[in-house]
Amino acid sequence: MGRDDGQRWRALNPAGVAVLVAVAGLWELLVWAEFAALRFLPAPSEISVAARQALAEDELVGRILHTLGVTLGGWAIASVLGFGLGLALGLSDRAYRYSMTSFEVTRAIPPITFVPAALIIFGFSVKMELMLVIFGGVWPVLVNTIGGVHAVPSELHDVGVVHRLGKLSTIRKIVLPAAFPSVVVGLRLALSLCLVLSIVAEIVGNPAGVGNGLIRASQALQPPLMFVYVLVAGLMGVVLNALFGAAVKRFMPPVQGHEAQSW
Amino acid sequence: MVTAARAGATDGSQPQLRPDSADRPARFGRFEVLTGLVPLALLLIVWQLVGSPDSPRFPAPSSWWPALFVRGQGEDIIPAVLDTTRTFGLGLVLATIVGVAVGIGVGVSRGADRAFGPMFEFARALPPAAMVPVATLLLGFDEPMKVAVVVLAAVWPIMLNTRSGVRNINPVLLDMARSLRLSPTSTVGRVLLPSVTPAVLLGIRVATPVALVITLLVEYLTGVNGLGALVGDAQRTFQPARVYALIVITGLISLLVNSLVRTAEQRVRRIHSGG
Repeated sequence: MGRDDGQRWRALNPAGVAVLVAVAGLWELLVWAEFAALRFLPAPSEISVAARQALAEDELVGRILHTLGVTLGGWAIASVLGFGLGLALGLSDRAYRYSMTSFEVTRAIPPITFVPAALIIFGFSVKMELMLVIFGGVWPVLVNTIGGVHAVPSELHDVGVVHRLGKLSTIRKIVLPAAFPSVVVGLRLALSLCLVLSIVAEIVGNPAGVGNGLIRASQALQPPLMFVYVLVAGLMGVVLNALFGAAVKRFMPPVQGHEAQSW
Repeated sequence: MVTAARAGATDGSQPQLRPDSADRPARFGRFEVLTGLVPLALLLIVWQLVGSPDSPRFPAPSSWWPALFVRGQGEDIIPAVLDTTRTFGLGLVLATIVGVAVGIGVGVSRGADRAFGPMFEFARALPPAAMVPVATLLLGFDEPMKVAVVVLAAVWPIMLNTRSGVRNINPVLLDMARSLRLSPTSTVGRVLLPSVTPAVLLGIRVATPVALVITLLVEYLTGVNGLGALVGDAQRTFQPARVYALIVITGLISLLVNSLVRTAEQRVRRIHSGG
């Protein structure tokens, strides 16, 4: 998908731009005409004014930095946890047999329902936000690490056996490189999930960051500012994803990524 | 998730090659599903032994179930489950209809794809979770708003998978439809839809947890009906045991829904590959 997008953006796409402009124009017109059903819908022009105002103040930058910090911190912890645990469960069939269902069951619980529990345990704090981010981010890494280790072709294991590699060097030289692409997919999924979860945690709990700005704008009945925060959240997702993709391309062997879906 | 079959542990010191994939035992039998629950069971047992039922943060598991029924609150549970299921189900069905229709449209026509692609990319980049407060402000606190947000979140994986499903159709099939002079309607009905069904189901499988999470988030934020509203209410009125009980219920529903969708997908896939 990434390659497809790249081509689409690199080639000039007049039809695509025209549709974007037309939709924005129609939107603007609807607001001018005071289309009754959408009383609070701000026009694109109002949103851009609000965006310019917000950019002039320090508040927006501070909020972005907070959300970014929690997202990346939580993602790092979730990645280490998920990778370590996934490696153990992928390598040891016994560990897998005696714990996988527990993880599957826990993983099925929608992270949102953990918000109230996290609030009860940690109160309205950064700790609560971090907990939610880590809890959500750990699963894609865990599942994809296990999947990657399990999918290492048996021929590669045979190569290790023939070369009489020890257990550790088999893992280091054969299992890890072969499982790597799958781990990277997990890391990427986890990154977008961590961002969304930190924003959700800020909307419902921790009074800081982009999510809190969003909900504050909503309570203050400032729809244009609200849309600015939604756009900022979307932009952060795009930028983080692109940076991750660039880092993977720069430092690591080529990887097939797919269906990076977050909510 | 990948559950590739693999040989048992080869811990022996003798060099020992792995048997071919056909000879290997399946990784996950019925027995393993149960043994896998051991850590969770241990956690709950330790929690029960250490925790007290009145703990403000970690009430013992035995106090969870009764907490559902204190002060006549037990009557709220079933309607809440039904509310959540209805919003979630309706949202997923509508997202499927819209996603498949649009996915086929942009899959068949390169021009439509180029025209609408940038707009879709833009809309898809907006996190649905952040759209929830926006939607409550714009559309008000009612059932159509809830469903609309769920559709907005769940439609993308379905649409994208349908689009790539259409792209991957063997061109010979389309040529055949043309040489049989099928009308556009019957081309879609007899050739396109059956061929993209596995891709659509994959999209639905990805969309299912997303739809459920957004449903719960809307309910939690607006406090309008459903399990999300119930668990939010329990938290705000300091009933920790009730919160944990509702988490368990939500988890079970999520587990059930996910496994239903996965079973359906596997069945269709088998029919497809079996011919």
